Amino acid sequence: MVMACRVINKRRHMGLQQLSSFAGTGRTFLGPVKSSKFIIDEECHESVLISSTIRLLESLDLTSAVGQLLNEAVQAQNNTYKTGTSTLLFLVGAWSSAAEECLHLGVPISVIVSVMSEGLNSCIKEVVSLQVPIYNVFDHLDSTKTFSGLETFNISLCPFLQIPSDTGLQKEHDLNDVASPSLTTYSLSGIPVKSPKLFRRQTEVEADKNTLQNPQTLKNSLLASSHYRKSILIHSRHFNRTANNQWINKPDGFLEQHGAATPNTYRCNDLVELEMGLSHGDHNSMKLVDEAVRLQYQNASIQQGNCTMPFRFDISRIFTCCLPGVPETFSCVCPGFITVVSISNTTLIKELENQPVRVILIEGDLTENYRHLGFNKATNINTLLESMKIQQNSSEEVWTNYVLQVLIKFNVNLVLVQGNVSEHLIERCIHSKQLVIGSVNSTVMQAFAEASGAVQVTYITQVNENCVGNGIYVAFWRSIPSDVIDRINVITIVIKTEGINLVTVVLTSPVTAQMQTKEDRFWTCAYRLYHALREQKVFLGGGAVEFLCLSHLQILAGQSLSKRNHVCSGWLHNTSSWLASSLALYRPTVLNCLANGWHRYLSTLMYNTASCSSEFEASTFIQQHLQNARDSGSPSSYILNEYNKLNSGIFNPSISNKLEQIPSIYDIIIPKIEAWRRALDLVLLVLQTDSEIITGLGHTQLNSHETEGFLFL
Amino acid sequence: MSRLEAKKPSLCKSEPLTSERVRATLCVLKGILTSSYGPSGRLKQVHSGFGGCVCTTSQSSALLSNLPVTHPILKILTTSMQNHVSCFRDCGLFTAILCCNLIENVQRTGLTPTTVTKLNQHLLSLCTSYLKSESCGCRILVDFSSPQTLLCLVRSIVTSKPACMLTREERDHLSALILRAFLLTIPENTKDRLILGNSIIVPLKGQRVLDSSVLPGILIEMSEIQLMKILPIKKSEAFKVALFCASLSGDFSDTGEGTMVVTYGVSLENAVLEQLLSLGRQLVSDHVDLVVCQKVIHPSLKQFLSMHRVIAIDRVGVALMEPLSKVTGTQPIGSIGSISPSSYGSVKDLCPAKFGFKHFLHLIPYEATICSLLLCNRNDTAWDELKLTCQTALHVLQLTIKEPCVLLGGGCTETHLAAYIRHKTCNEPESILKDDGCTQTELQLSTEAFCSALESVAGSLEHDGGEVLTDMKYGHFWSAHAEAPSIVNWPDLLSRCGCGLYNSQEELHWSFLKSTRHPFVPQTYLPHEATGSADNLTLDCFTAKLSGLQVAVETANLILDLSYVIEDKN
Repeated sequence: MVMACRVINKRRHMGLQQLSSFAGTGRTFLGPVKSSKFIIDEECHESVLISSTIRLLESLDLTSAVGQLLNEAVQAQNNTYKTGTSTLLFLVGAWSSAAEECLHLGVPISVIVSVMSEGLNSCIKEVVSLQVPIYNVFDHLDSTKTFSGLETFNISLCPFLQIPSDTGLQKEHDLNDVASPSLTTYSLSGIPVKSPKLFRRQTEVEADKNTLQNPQTLKNSLLASSHYRKSILIHSRHFNRTANNQWINKPDGFLEQHGAATPNTYRCNDLVELEMGLSHGDHNSMKLVDEAVRLQYQNASIQQGNCTMPFRFDISRIFTCCLPGVPETFSCVCPGFITVVSISNTTLIKELENQPVRVILIEGDLTENYRHLGFNKATNINTLLESMKIQQNSSEEVWTNYVLQVLIKFNVNLVLVQGNVSEHLIERCIHSKQLVIGSVNSTVMQAFAEASGAVQVTYITQVNENCVGNGIYVAFWRSIPSDVIDRINVITIVIKTEGINLVTVVLTSPVTAQMQTKEDRFWTCAYRLYHALREQKVFLGGGAVEFLCLSHLQILAGQSLSKRNHVCSGWLHNTSSWLASSLALYRPTVLNCLANGWHRYLSTLMYNTASCSSEFEASTFIQQHLQNARDSGSPSSYILNEYNKLNSGIFNPSISNKLEQIPSIYDIIIPKIEAWRRALDLVLLVLQTDSEIITGLGHTQLNSHETEGFLFL
Repeated sequence: MSRLEAKKPSLCKSEPLTSERVRATLCVLKGILTSSYGPSGRLKQVHSGFGGCVCTTSQSSALLSNLPVTHPILKILTTSMQNHVSCFRDCGLFTAILCCNLIENVQRTGLTPTTVTKLNQHLLSLCTSYLKSESCGCRILVDFSSPQTLLCLVRSIVTSKPACMLTREERDHLSALILRAFLLTIPENTKDRLILGNSIIVPLKGQRVLDSSVLPGILIEMSEIQLMKILPIKKSEAFKVALFCASLSGDFSDTGEGTMVVTYGVSLENAVLEQLLSLGRQLVSDHVDLVVCQKVIHPSLKQFLSMHRVIAIDRVGVALMEPLSKVTGTQPIGSIGSISPSSYGSVKDLCPAKFGFKHFLHLIPYEATICSLLLCNRNDTAWDELKLTCQTALHVLQLTIKEPCVLLGGGCTETHLAAYIRHKTCNEPESILKDDGCTQTELQLSTEAFCSALESVAGSLEHDGGEVLTDMKYGHFWSAHAEAPSIVNWPDLLSRCGCGLYNSQEELHWSFLKSTRHPFVPQTYLPHEATGSADNLTLDCFTAKLSGLQVAVETANLILDLSYVIEDKN
């Protein structure tokens, strides 16, 4: 942690320092290889195993104003896109150091704000050239090529790092981390108290240089690396541009692609390729996503018949069912609703099996005292008994009898309830052959409503013939051998009906502590695919986008000032201020600082994926490329040329059939760009803040040592 | 047994302004306000100190309402600023800073409060009559035939709130949206009185700012599942609407004090439900298509209505009630007894809509003076700031319709006005002196205090240590790099004046704002062609600024005139 020791300075900015120390805690989550962390509560000795930014922030004490803002930004990203939070957190750290660096160098705050903001804008415009359109991925879905079939050759290619093949390695890595004592210890306020002693992996960086020069070496190491994790630099599809794409060097040093923005040769029209590229090394999770999408697609084509509506991947109709304590290999995807019920239902389910049952759907609780939201119970009503007849049944009993009557009257054997269900009722129902399941997810309810024709009701009194759904099948779910499932003392059942648009993903893990992580990972992959399909385009991933940003900013910073003067004066909101005219003076400094943020991002990424044994080494590696790129005059064409050289060697006939299948790494576009923007927004927001106003606090509520620096009104 | 405690005597302090503590706190307050002023103003994190949401802002409305002040003098100040802000929404910081500056400057002159109060009043009336006069050199009449002036006005407001975190592109997009939203609230044909509708700001947090948009009509947010239940909507010429503000949830919370005794077997709930269902039957027989309820509708009533193809929407909230009643042309129904047929209204069309991750039912009225502004921003704190900004801008546009002129912004009005006042009191002091019995010196001291207070408001726009200047022809505001060499070619160093109207290449002479200079006549009568050509001016709301000026001077007079603070310590 470099940031912590940079505090003694007149120009120090506490907010930015807090930001970078908070962000430092999530550094190891960047990239495809995420090291897990143990978070230990010292008071109650509870601990959690986490491996994502969101779970990390849940466990950190973020009550300070800056911490709140950080949490808010990360939550907003997560709520909107469910992905990109690690990028966000890392860039917050990198750019808050960058902003601080600018402050040290005496750049006025307003200039930092406008140059950084417009610099990032410029990057975002620049990286459009790395977009890959997705075309009709579902057209080829019927072919036999599935995700699992591709695992014979499963390393992914990208310019700067290599994503390790999955199965085994990923897990091994995790376990290693878990086994080793906590790598970095942070106090709860997020300030590192011990210098990190990170897990190291031996890699051969020398190979990089060799491969660049010698295609033969590359080929060898490429093939070797499906067995060994070895650092190699390999080409990406992005750079395989063939002769029909002409790159023109404009006089100002910008590389511009001639013709269409994204030529047809760089499009993705294969679902498996897309999924492979988006899996970022987590093939296990992506395999489940793939199966879920295929099930949805099949279901949609059956439902539609000859109607040719384009298929839309509906992520809301995917449901996860977690079974801790079951070996990992039993994770699978099935149509319908799979859930866990108590073992006392066994006989009931046996009876219900193999016949269509009728269902009612209750939103809310199924208890006597439940009233709909917004209903206020009057408390001052007493009931008067006129005669001395002793009531035989309690009101609960009366209600339960009524529910049973309704169920019998409408011949209903299955009740799905969104809220809680009275225990007593469940017991009574078991005896009268009715299965009642509580706490059912609302989208599951919706799916059943659509497929069975049932109408969701709030109260049992509302039930009429129109509300009842037909043709539901309840069965034991036996994909997991009974001896395994008996061990965890539950029974799993599957409830489905013809054409139901619902897919359950069963996630299993022998280690209960890893269940949450596994579920998070699944959803990360699912959302990545979802966003990619929604946008119909992806970025070339694996650091390519970030490298382009980095080199683009360095070009911008180095450009002659007079020429750009009039352009950049428009960068400032307030064009009449003197800041506009002196922008040219500070612009290179600020742009370079912003670029350094990307540099740190890339080197950490390389280090985390163990492509390099140290961040320093990664940094040198990137630096070297940048230098070469600068020398050549245009970084993009430099890289392009290098990779073109590689291409000619790599596509030699003996292995070409295999190389066809080497997938690229892809990234989703809008969530990524929004994470960048959010990160910079947060940094700039904190940068522009000069004071904290605490409301509702008297002199007395502050400790004497805290009052220093406080002013009271 | 009750215990009596002797009352504590009241605490009386004389000359409160002379106290060191008051001066110090005033200074802190002024520091907070000036540092927040303008497009490059610094932001403040306002929070409770116990976790919870943090408001990052530089706007007076958010700052003043949250500033925990204790001293009575500061309370007078903040209260009167808040009053101004609640009426005009804009120019709050201008007002507050000017007031602080006036108090500070006048104290330095050592004049008696009575003299100062009188003279300040005179100077104020000089200002207001000049600003309202034809000859005013810092006022532009709004040309409603082109959107340019109004767009500049909105853009200036949006630009002056840095906590919104907008890029240039986003700022332009949003300014255009705000103007469009405002134009949608103007009725197409009016008879004698113009009644403006209103724009409802619909939150869409977490989305990109560029996804913001504006739609005529009302958007009612609902969950996807709720929306699925009312779909498909049957088509019809017009939709008959019943709007309820009474709760239709079937509870009986208004049972009053005491206990109610009910015979066993009687269910009050069922009785109320029966009443609701008979209401439902009436709605169905009256051919109502859409029932909207501010509060909750009982699920059974909802089920009954949907069985009869009546769309029922509940929990729309109090904020939407007024626009809904305007749009549908009804008074909300407040009881669940019988409904008179006259209380139904209508809308032209209903359709489902999806923006971002939210689902809405879109009500399209016949005559649309109500529109919905879907406002997006990346995070909560920036969204809140953006919402306030939009409200300010919309309000300012309304004020501008009433008084169709704008003032030059970016500090130019302040420096220009100061130059005008200096010139006036120097060359024609008689008009003031003859009916006040003040001496020439007193007038001069007071004028200097007043004018430099105005000028330092303009100077507060500079936060990065630049130099502030004024030119000797127009009296406009200019800023320059502080470390400029002593002998400089000013026209090259400066680019444009604060409002953007003039550029430095004209033959102008400049002087530092802090230095003393000879009074000069700033050019009056703004030529029309000068303002017509400029498309990127910084502008201020005329009404709000004029009122701000008055409030600031009067509040300062009030505070300067205070001689005792009496506090009841009990």
